[in-house]
Amino acid sequence: MKRSYIYLITVIAVYAAFVIVFDFFPRSTFSELEKRELATFPKPTTKNVASGQFTKNVSQWFSDSEPYRDKFMSMSMIFGDNLKLRLFENPQSNIKFHAATDDAATANDMEMEMETGEIEGYDNKLTANANAKIANKGIIVMGEVPNVRALMAFFGGPNGGANYAKACNEYNRVFGHQAKIYCLVIPTAVEFYCPDAAKSATKPELPTIKNTHSKLNDSVIAVNAYTPLAKHANENIFLRTDHHWAPLGAYYVAQEFARVANVPFRDLSSYEEKVVHGYVGSMYGYSHDISVKNSPEDFYYHIPKDVTYTTTYLKYNIDQNYKVIGEKAPYSGQYFIKYPDGSGGAYCTFMGGDSKITHVHTSTANGRRLLIIKDSFGNAIPGYLFYSFEDIHIIDYRYFAKNLKKYVEDNKITDILLSAVISRAYGGGNDIIKYINQPEGTYNGLVKGSQPKATK
Amino acid sequence: MVFSDLFFLFVFIPAFALCYLLATYIDKKYLSDGLKQVNTCKNWTLVAYSLIFYAWGEPVYVFLMLFSVLVNFFVGRFIDSQQEQKKRKTALVIGLVCNIGIIAIFKYLGFLSQILIDMGVPITKPNIALPIGISFYTFQSISYLVDVYRKVSPAQRRFRDLLLYISMFPQLIAGPIVRYQTIASEINNRHVTAEDFAEGAFRFLIGLGKKVIIANQLSLVSTQFLQNEIGSLSTSGAWIGIAAFMFQIYFDFSGYSDMAIGMGHCMGFHFLENFDHPYCSASVTEFWRRWHMSLGSFFRDYVYIPMGGNRRHQMLNIIFVWALTGLWHGACWNFILWGLYFGLVLVIEKYVILPYIQPKCPKFLMHIYFLFIIFLSWVLFYFTDFTQIKTAYTALFGGAAVKVDFISKAAIFDHFWMWIAAILFSMPMRRWAANLTTRLTGSNKALEQNIFLIARIVTSVVILVLSVALLVGATNNPFLYTRF
Repeated sequence: MKRSYIYLITVIAVYAAFVIVFDFFPRSTFSELEKRELATFPKPTTKNVASGQFTKNVSQWFSDSEPYRDKFMSMSMIFGDNLKLRLFENPQSNIKFHAATDDAATANDMEMEMETGEIEGYDNKLTANANAKIANKGIIVMGEVPNVRALMAFFGGPNGGANYAKACNEYNRVFGHQAKIYCLVIPTAVEFYCPDAAKSATKPELPTIKNTHSKLNDSVIAVNAYTPLAKHANENIFLRTDHHWAPLGAYYVAQEFARVANVPFRDLSSYEEKVVHGYVGSMYGYSHDISVKNSPEDFYYHIPKDVTYTTTYLKYNIDQNYKVIGEKAPYSGQYFIKYPDGSGGAYCTFMGGDSKITHVHTSTANGRRLLIIKDSFGNAIPGYLFYSFEDIHIIDYRYFAKNLKKYVEDNKITDILLSAVISRAYGGGNDIIKYINQPEGTYNGLVKGSQPKATK
Repeated sequence: MVFSDLFFLFVFIPAFALCYLLATYIDKKYLSDGLKQVNTCKNWTLVAYSLIFYAWGEPVYVFLMLFSVLVNFFVGRFIDSQQEQKKRKTALVIGLVCNIGIIAIFKYLGFLSQILIDMGVPITKPNIALPIGISFYTFQSISYLVDVYRKVSPAQRRFRDLLLYISMFPQLIAGPIVRYQTIASEINNRHVTAEDFAEGAFRFLIGLGKKVIIANQLSLVSTQFLQNEIGSLSTSGAWIGIAAFMFQIYFDFSGYSDMAIGMGHCMGFHFLENFDHPYCSASVTEFWRRWHMSLGSFFRDYVYIPMGGNRRHQMLNIIFVWALTGLWHGACWNFILWGLYFGLVLVIEKYVILPYIQPKCPKFLMHIYFLFIIFLSWVLFYFTDFTQIKTAYTALFGGAAVKVDFISKAAIFDHFWMWIAAILFSMPMRRWAANLTTRLTGSNKALEQNIFLIARIVTSVVILVLSVALLVGATNNPFLYTRF
């Protein structure tokens, strides 16, 4: 009897502590680990209560916004990490991914490819023999702390990208009389760093890129991102702990874009290098692998020194489902936002994120005005084009409430760059076609009228 | 709501516990005459929370369950009140038709319509969502009526108490299927000691650990192989994926049963065991005496024996009961095939393996034979699509383009200790550890009990902390058997 009481008092005390924390402590609103806003308490309606959706959402809210969410998740990742058998790990696998090694392909070969438009496959010699494992969401985690790299697998087949090419062709049909259309498909790190052992966990990205390019009309200009990235694969062109590329990767692709667009381009000596130390990106949250957290990296970016520019933002209000529900009045701001060392938001250095239209006016008076329609990969590109265009307009494909025809005409756009990371290019396209004829002031699929007015 | 949901663990349970304690106090202080135990407030509290628990996931179908209980209440009362056998039987048949009719409409009508459509009959397939737990509470209703008819237990005089039996939240949506006779007397007369409560709490936590720490982790492995592009499955991937599912479903379902039994214990209800280390069996016959025992005994007592059991056309009875067992799991051909597979194996075992081979065969070989048969059965259970079933079997037997791949190796080594834990805890480790402790401590009972106490406390706290950490950030966490 006495022992039962001792047991019950101990266990109930621990349980009660959890109840107090979960029920009475302030709830988390943002997960630094997952880099996302957490669920908010749902609003009850007759419909969602009757369908059971409301109660389901309450449970989801409770399970999504726990106090100390990130700490609990870190604890579970440590547990997951300790499940593996370390007996067969290769001590030689402590690869430094960005050490200065021989180029994976010769510069001449690469330049030839860029001239001809033919893209050759990349043979990974940098990390071919690295140890790897499959983490949460099929993410390939390779190397050892502190140089771990996490790779987002690609699952697309060789026929992908056709719809995206169709969208580019449609842009060319509508805007071709006044602007050149460029199609840029950005490969991801897995294409260049996937070890041979993990090849079966992902699919090659080059066939999708080639297929996309092959479906473009002659007047749409394909920008070959693959070859310059392959050429510089031994440099810091992809982030190890984030699903994005590094700004240096964007630099090399911007250089290629400037070449095909026939605009001036300055090398890195015209930029001031900045760094955010101790950066751990989104792959920690996605992979649930503690070794990613224990391998922080330096986030380098570059600010142009010899050009003046002003940045104007039109920021959208978005709801919890990331739908545009309103907009703020335009305001001027910094294009490059300095994040402190250790910040997990360093990739937001450029424009501070996605949910806005950005207009950069530069001192490059050459009559070329660029519109970029992009996803988050595209955020890193414009900063390298301030010497190339006098105006750069940046639109995220998810957040645009205007009529694109009018926008292009009003801003006298001369070049339109349609930039998409491979996973979006694979099945996307319709997401940008809709903007061409979209009525001005379309919020969450509805035309302005009953929508909230602009707020300060 | 599921037991491994943080909302259940930290909102529902504390709220219920407080109300239940208050109800116990009111029953004792104000309603009891000091001679007879009164459970009025406790039972109302349990009923109210059970209905909230069910309505949380099924706000409309809760009325279907209430209707079903109402029908069974009146039919049960009628059977109990009649002396004439013919009238009792007629009432029983009406009750059974109502119960089977409800499950037929809500679980099988879509399936039957599809069969007719496939045969060319021009009808429209009805779009009826499956009410959660319907297979479990319908079987409990049938158990109630049959037990009343057989005079094993008297009919409930209070609607509330029958509602409590059918809807009691610990076992409402995924069993075990509690026979009416098992808890009939405890509905109005139950007592909970500190030992009971401690045993119940420990059992609940063991179940939570089985589900969250083992089953959920192995589900990541099984999903990785079996849900993505089955066509590109390697041979090693097929073996590892099915093996992971084999452990996942055991720890998932037995974990749920442990939690249900534990919660029942905390309230003074003693549900029968539902699992007894089934993967330690040496034959499929033995397996089915250890796996989902409440379902097996239900079919044995309410279908197999009334059909004639082993007295007449036994082979036919076995095949029919197993087809029915398969169908109970889901309105899909793969489940029927899964049931028939077992029916066939059990017939072969009964007439060939058990009488002629088992006596001469070493036990470990019988065990390997059993594991192989059971392993293959989970393919039929996992995939609802026959093309996928064929692809999976082809891959298992070396027909895949890739025989051994990196992902398979990674799945073993990256979850190595989880595999070890799954294998170990499929065996009666607790019993072995207890026996070893008893042997080591000899006659020193105090030392033995102290070791047990410390082991229990450490195990409970570790499971609780780890489970909470793992549940935070877990997006999808349903129990597999809640879909049946």
